[in-house]
Amino acid sequence: MTALFFLVALVLLISAVGVVASRNAIHSALFLVGNLMSVAVMFAMLNAHFLAVVQVIVYAGAIMVLVLFVLMLLNIKLENQPALGKLVIGLAGLGGLAFLWMMVPLLQRSFAAIPQSAVDVQGSVREVGKLLYTQYVFPFEAASLLIMAAVVGAVMLAKRRYRA
Amino acid sequence: MVPVTYYLTLSALMFTLGIVGVVIRRNAIVVFMCIELMLNAVNLSFVALSRLVGNLDGQIAVFFVMVVAAAEAAVGLAIIISLFRSAKSVETSDANQLNG
Repeated sequence: MTALFFLVALVLLISAVGVVASRNAIHSALFLVGNLMSVAVMFAMLNAHFLAVVQVIVYAGAIMVLVLFVLMLLNIKLENQPALGKLVIGLAGLGGLAFLWMMVPLLQRSFAAIPQSAVDVQGSVREVGKLLYTQYVFPFEAASLLIMAAVVGAVMLAKRRYRA
Repeated sequence: MVPVTYYLTLSALMFTLGIVGVVIRRNAIVVFMCIELMLNAVNLSFVALSRLVGNLDGQIAVFFVMVVAAAEAAVGLAIIISLFRSAKSVETSDANQLNG
């Protein structure tokens, strides 16, 4: 299990670096698909089976197809402006390292002390669905309104403007 | 079993890569993908902590984050298409029409 964790973590991190570092946006998108797939494996290892499946279907299946569709529709070549200066990239990297330096010891200290719960949660479709349709039924319905608004908004934004 | 702090550390690393990407990349679609990277990092820590405390509420939160991410993808990509129509580019530095 631990070996599998480190293997998947390695794939996850390499693909995340690929998203940030590749010059070609399409390569970035394909790296992101790999990253989302490895997050799905992580979900499965954490017993969140429903979320693992939804991650593959919604993220890797729907959202990334939309992103790739737009990338190919707009036919964007490599970034055509000169790259940002080494100084900016170095500063961004330093900022990231500072964030990690703050965050990682904090996480270790705050959560290592909490004992692992005796209940072994199973995020099966049955359990998550039961919770979604009882305790979280109002947020669930609100989510459908949100998606409705997003679809209408997307069509409004992306349609061509006709002359009056 | 893998300790939960490993998952949290991995999530922090992934989140940091997302932040750095948003700062250094200029293609709006890549910036958008880096935001997805950050959302996923947070999702991972939600699920790991849900396992730690033995409670499914964290997984419900991840479900709603996914819903919002899908809505964000639809609207965000529509905005990028309309930016491309007006500026003929998706570089964030070309979206400067308000810059007199």
